Amino acid sequence: MKVFIVPPNSLILYDLVERFGHEPLSVMKVIGERVTGLEIDSPPLNVTPEDVKKGLKYAGVEVPSGIRGRLAVWGPLIEQAEAAIVMEDPPYSFGCVGCYRTNEMVKYLLRKKGIPMLEVAYPQDEEDAKRMVSKVKEFLVGLK
Amino acid sequence: MQSENETRMIVIAPTSEVTPDQMVRFVHSLARPLTIKETCYGAMIEGKKDDVMFVLREVRKLDPNRIFSKIRGFPIGDTRRCRAHHGSRPGFTQLEKEWKDLSLVEKGLSSLERGERASEPKKKGRIPVNRLKKIVDEVKK
Repeated sequence: MKVFIVPPNSLILYDLVERFGHEPLSVMKVIGERVTGLEIDSPPLNVTPEDVKKGLKYAGVEVPSGIRGRLAVWGPLIEQAEAAIVMEDPPYSFGCVGCYRTNEMVKYLLRKKGIPMLEVAYPQDEEDAKRMVSKVKEFLVGLK
Repeated sequence: MQSENETRMIVIAPTSEVTPDQMVRFVHSLARPLTIKETCYGAMIEGKKDDVMFVLREVRKLDPNRIFSKIRGFPIGDTRRCRAHHGSRPGFTQLEKEWKDLSLVEKGLSSLERGERASEPKKKGRIPVNRLKKIVDEVKK
């Protein structure tokens, strides 16, 4: 199954999802396609008119461009998702998850979609980690 | 093009005894047509997806619960990201944070392997009135 992960560039979640036999939907793959695709103008990190249209599908024009820009990339992944794992409270300096409103919007879109969703938190100590890994495993095994 | 090629980051948990150097030598010994770059956290490998996945499976066998991996958007040595070309590295703070957490995740994976059950988190209760009174008295002094 295709599992959307939040943070969408998380090493821990990407690895765990793959380890337990599912396909993680991550931002790295989308970015990879953008930065290596020959048809995208140089410099390839530019936002294209197509991205703006995609972003508007998920958030109105009055919403800040940072949110729409993120959703232009994450939104199509959410549409493909058959399940999701959200890891709460990432440090705010995490770049792509540095926007709280987008994170809220993503959770809203996932809940609205009605797919199985697991919410865990970044582990603070060993016991926390044991609980987190065991919950993630239980969730992923249950998806099969 | 991208569907055929894949770039992967292989990250070794801080608690592992495998070093990036050992791992890179091991990858070289597998003789697959890949680009390999040793890094401070492990290595990056790039090549055809089948070769990358084969190498990843073999590398994991060195220390299954302490070697982690994810794909990478930018190719190895991409001038927009490579520090040798003064590229920015905006994702590094996250990688650094999650690399530190890998030692905890490893404990979780190992305990699952042993069939241990995770303990329930302690519920935070209210302070008993007597204890609160004592605290108030202590502060008053």
